[in-house]
Amino acid sequence: MLQLIGKRLAQLVPTLFFVSVLIFSLQHLMPGDPALVMAGEERDPVVIEQIRKQYGLDQPIPVQYAMWIGKVLAGDLGESMRLKVPVSELVAQKLPVTIQLAVMAMLIALVLGVATGVLSAVKRNSAWDWVVNVVGLAGISTPNFWLGIMMILLFAVHLGWLPASGYVSPFEDLQRSLATTIMPAFVLGTAIAGVIMRHTRSAMIQALDSDYVRTARAKGLSERTVVWKHAMRNALTPVITLGALEFGTLLSGAVLTEQIFSIPGFGKLIVDAVFNRDYAVVQGVVLVTATTYIVLNLLADIGYILANPRLRS
Amino acid sequence: MSEAPILSVEDLAVGFTGPDGRRTRAVDGVSFSVAPGRTLGIVGESGCGKSVTSLAVMGLLPRTGTSVTGRVLFDGRDLLTESERTLRDLRGDRLAMIFQEPMTSLNPSYTIGDQIVEAIVRHRAVGKREAAERAVEMLARVRIPEPARRFHDYPHRLSGGMRQRVMIAMALACEPRLLIADEPTTALDVTIQAQILDLMRALREETGTAVVLITHDLGVVAEVCDDVAVMYAGQVVERAPVEELFRFPQHPYTVGLLGSLPRFDRARGRLAAIEGTVPDMSRPPAGCRFAARCPFRITRCETMPDLVEIGGDRATRCWRAPLEELAA
Ligand SMILES: Nc1ncnc2c1ncn2[C@@H]1O[C@H](COP(=O)(O)OP(=O)(O)O)[C@@H](O)[C@H]1O
Ligand code: SF4
Ligand SMILES: [Mg+2]
Repeated sequence: MLQLIGKRLAQLVPTLFFVSVLIFSLQHLMPGDPALVMAGEERDPVVIEQIRKQYGLDQPIPVQYAMWIGKVLAGDLGESMRLKVPVSELVAQKLPVTIQLAVMAMLIALVLGVATGVLSAVKRNSAWDWVVNVVGLAGISTPNFWLGIMMILLFAVHLGWLPASGYVSPFEDLQRSLATTIMPAFVLGTAIAGVIMRHTRSAMIQALDSDYVRTARAKGLSERTVVWKHAMRNALTPVITLGALEFGTLLSGAVLTEQIFSIPGFGKLIVDAVFNRDYAVVQGVVLVTATTYIVLNLLADIGYILANPRLRS
Repeated sequence: MSEAPILSVEDLAVGFTGPDGRRTRAVDGVSFSVAPGRTLGIVGESGCGKSVTSLAVMGLLPRTGTSVTGRVLFDGRDLLTESERTLRDLRGDRLAMIFQEPMTSLNPSYTIGDQIVEAIVRHRAVGKREAAERAVEMLARVRIPEPARRFHDYPHRLSGGMRQRVMIAMALACEPRLLIADEPTTALDVTIQAQILDLMRALREETGTAVVLITHDLGVVAEVCDDVAVMYAGQVVERAPVEELFRFPQHPYTVGLLGSLPRFDRARGRLAAIEGTVPDMSRPPAGCRFAARCPFRITRCETMPDLVEIGGDRATRCWRAPLEELAA
């Protein structure tokens, strides 16, 4: 098992290297000369040349990469050209917001998705199963922005129960924090719940038809133990892996949803950075999200190994 | 058959309705009984309804789209009319079953020890610790080496034969009065088959459990069983004590299964490899189900014969029984 995990960890290095090269070179494929952007109104070639020198833009590309990655490894993601603050500071500010949103969305998705998926597998081909499948499909195919706008109209504008936008940190005021994030979390969560429901349902149907479930029933176990212990234990492993990957996607920032609810998270940070050609920020954010995604992926794999007795020994 | 039977199945019929609304009669007219300490063999070709019959006795058939009629008298009460709750209390306790697929019948995510303990704790008022001791004892009884260590193993660490031993240990953990073994050795190597059969025989002698042994192998029947029920196309076509069946088969299908019998060789050639195919059970023939393959067919066979007692603890479902008269 340790060997397996070691092997999986070793794969991390080339993956991260490849991703960093990709992110670095994308930067250089983007249109527009960053030195010109930084210079702003200034058109004096001497000044522009000096900016080039200052930011190392006159060096050969591999040297620029080496300089960049060296700083990144030291935790220095550069400085926002527009806001004149370190990118790492921006990340540290916005990341917790996105994490909070992602955790809430994931909880909603798992609870809804697993519960409905299991029940629909147990009562397969019933009216309930049919309804859950239709609603699940609707959940997957409803665009987040539309659901978000509808929720704002209903709960904020019409009923006045929740604030339409804005964000409050949970450390400041937990209740208001939940009030400001519950709608976007629900919007993000339901989209994933549909996917999780369908995976849970098919994995559970397979498990419930299995020989070991028949054995469990032959022992006289209650249907509850059969479903939630024997079938679930095997059906849930792939679902957890899926959940980890979906969580990674959530962390990369739900651009549109954050925009609609004016949540100052990663999504908003990256959109602003792209529109302003704030390259260092784009680079930093993409690097952080890519790394998070890769690490989560790794954790999911290790979790899978740990949950599977066959791989564990 | 001096002692009262522990299990008595009377006129059992099972029908499945598919999602397309088509009904399949998997089993009908199945009657047999087993007394304590005896072993009844149920033989028949693949697909003749052996597994469906045993699952019906256990109450383990899928609930939707399944209709079960007849009587399944276990220890005096009809299991078909008992509540699911009562059945759950019986299953794994007084009524146990092992299956054809040892490789997949254990849950891959739990240790074999946990899975045996679970069965004991479910039916006995004992703590986990006591149940674990009992489980290790059972592993030893099914001759698993180093039982205390094996207790902590996951199923994938065990071979098919070892897993079937675990299944037997689990089934016998609560000292059932009836054990149904559905082709317990079919998936195993020949040498392992013999070991498992020996084990089952020894355990039956130790425990006095009644056994229903399902198989398609007449050799196994000859070796292990006291009585036999032969099934064809969802029905019991013949029932007899085992020596009697081998000596004087009273149904043409049994004759076919047994291979050639010299007396019939003169009459109609060999039946050994029975020609023709089993009828489609969504449209079973009105008359004798074996008619299409039967060398003794007569006009009367267009109506269905009943399973009738012919004396000497025997019964057969054939218009032309007793067959000795034909050969004479
Ligand atoms: N759940 C089910 N639904 C529909 N048909 C079934 C089901 N289980 C078994 N059958 C059918 O019943 C017949 C008897 O099957 P089975 O009892 O498994 O045969 P075997 O004697 O080989 O054990 C087969 O034709 C099989 O296809
Ligand atoms: S009833 Fe007729 S067809 Fe059927 S087994 Fe007997 S002789 Fe053959
Ligand atoms: Mg079978």
